[in-house]
Amino acid sequence: MNLILKKDHLNHLLNAWRQEYEVYAPQSLQNFTHFLPLQDGFELAFDKAHNTRIPPKALFLPTSEALLKFTRFGGYEEVPSETAPRLIFGIRPCDAHAMTMLDTVFEQERYTDPLWKARREATVVVGLGCHEPCQTGFCTTVGSGPFNHAGLDAILTDLGEIFLVETLTEKGEHLFTQLETASEDQSMHASEVQQAAAASMPIAFETEGLKQKLDQNFASPYWEEVSRSCLGCGVCTFLCPTCFCFDIVDEAQRGERVRNWDTCMFRTYSLEASGHNPRPSRVERTRQRLSHKYSYWLDQINQIGCTGCGRCVRYCPVGLDIRAMLRKAHQLPSEVLHA
Amino acid sequence: MPDINALKAEAKRILSEGMVDIVIGFKAGDTPLHPQPAFFKTPDEVDQLVYNALCQNNLATYLTRFPKTQKIGMVVRGCESRSVNALVFEGQHPREGLYLIGVPCDGIIDWRKIVEQTGEEVFSVIEQSDNTVLVEAKSGFFTLEKETLLHESCARCIHPNPISADVVIGELLPEGDPALACEKVAAFAGLSMEERHAWFRQEAERCIRCYACREACPMCYCEECFVDHISPRWTESGTTPAGMQGWHIVRAFHQTGRCTSCGACERACPMDIKMTYLTEKLNEDMRRKYNFEVGLDATTAPPFSTVTLDDKSRFVI
Repeated sequence: MNLILKKDHLNHLLNAWRQEYEVYAPQSLQNFTHFLPLQDGFELAFDKAHNTRIPPKALFLPTSEALLKFTRFGGYEEVPSETAPRLIFGIRPCDAHAMTMLDTVFEQERYTDPLWKARREATVVVGLGCHEPCQTGFCTTVGSGPFNHAGLDAILTDLGEIFLVETLTEKGEHLFTQLETASEDQSMHASEVQQAAAASMPIAFETEGLKQKLDQNFASPYWEEVSRSCLGCGVCTFLCPTCFCFDIVDEAQRGERVRNWDTCMFRTYSLEASGHNPRPSRVERTRQRLSHKYSYWLDQINQIGCTGCGRCVRYCPVGLDIRAMLRKAHQLPSEVLHA
Repeated sequence: MPDINALKAEAKRILSEGMVDIVIGFKAGDTPLHPQPAFFKTPDEVDQLVYNALCQNNLATYLTRFPKTQKIGMVVRGCESRSVNALVFEGQHPREGLYLIGVPCDGIIDWRKIVEQTGEEVFSVIEQSDNTVLVEAKSGFFTLEKETLLHESCARCIHPNPISADVVIGELLPEGDPALACEKVAAFAGLSMEERHAWFRQEAERCIRCYACREACPMCYCEECFVDHISPRWTESGTTPAGMQGWHIVRAFHQTGRCTSCGACERACPMDIKMTYLTEKLNEDMRRKYNFEVGLDATTAPPFSTVTLDDKSRFVI
């Protein structure tokens, strides 16, 4: 159902939601925007940046968290997985779409992550579509889009003085019961804005046949070439909304088993106890990052494992641009004959 | 700003005369704010070479990736040349295997300072001859004073000219004022202990431990970093306060007498964490207590790299 939310009514609505939920929305803290819980007298920061610096995956998979607590003498207790009801407001469609991909990792039939699942179930997600898509984003190239509905309970379209609200799930409907219905003209206007936004985004690279190119060129010198200036830091993967790798470490002095973000770009990620490292250099690690997103995800869920948010492009300290890397990959020969 | 054609000509010459196997410089990036480090193997490839104030990395960080037998050419600014000297002193590459093309540097622009004023959608950045920068952004055209955009480390740079370069391209610049660097340190040191602690915590504790600072730093070349040690474990692994503080303070200490104040760590940080206030303090201590600045040549040992049999602190030997 399409509804109308007047912009000057937004704060009132957010405050009303705060009675029922802990409400997270983009706000400035120090130098950039984060999804932070709204406090009295909050100020939203939608204009400062298109996307929050840290993707909202961190609200479901924190950078570090304790999984269980133990004592020296064998006793342990699990950390409870209940989460109070939460509402994330103003999430961008790329980030929400990414969450549905991570569900396929953390909510597999036989291996469900209780912490992830509890947080997902306790959270309502209200999206803000991108009527002015960002420069570094390429969502339309990778099967998402500036008004993609995946992972959202409701989505807002900015129409100047008002937002057009589309409720997409029951959870979403429950949030907006007080609003008046949109007129046909308003719905039409929103649909034009949405289409124009998607149409304004150039196709960043060709995805057709890209997986095959990457698979067939596993041993190509291309990987050495594109990884040469890579620093081997974790910026691209840590800021990526679909990267989910973690490491589990026992912090014995605190008696906690903790889960920390980890990344295939680190040397220690694939280092084995024997000392052997199957991905010994940045060449193999770069190949893993790109191939995971553009080949292995396709094997697993038949979707590209990237929603085109563009954070890796914007924040790479050496200006590596995954779009350019993939354009180059598409130019590779189709069959590489190995000696 | 050095003449780009002269820079290219020199890079081509050393490649074509076989003096070096590779030249490390910058090329235009795929996005307007980020030129990329580049590795040129043939004179033809050098046509892509660019040099401008947005070239934010310290290229010396790549030096330790190459075999010591490789002959390397590198475009170096003041800080980079000093990092190279420090690495040569630490035995990371023989000086004979290097050809340094020096460029006097009037400062690196911190792209964050552009974005603060123009919004994040930037289309192009052009440095103009009157020390202004013309930025075309989605929100319009902006003419900004270059001086206001400089990264903090560059605004207080003491050695803008390359040191012990094999050739210098461009006019030498006046040396910076050491007092400027001290001001920054004094401002931090002037805070109360509680305030300093609060500042340190505020910076360190937004770390996500991506180690961009480490990887961007030429002096962080350890095969195994202390944070990656399993046994013994030197610091907590995660983004706990202890883990983040441990990383930031020990990282800084490992730089004592080795840091050239280039600021590449801060420019690489995705969380905009300030780090040079710690290393600057250590650098000032080195200047004041030992009359030492790293990288002014490739032969003087940093104070903490010297051990003598009559050392007052017996525990080190």
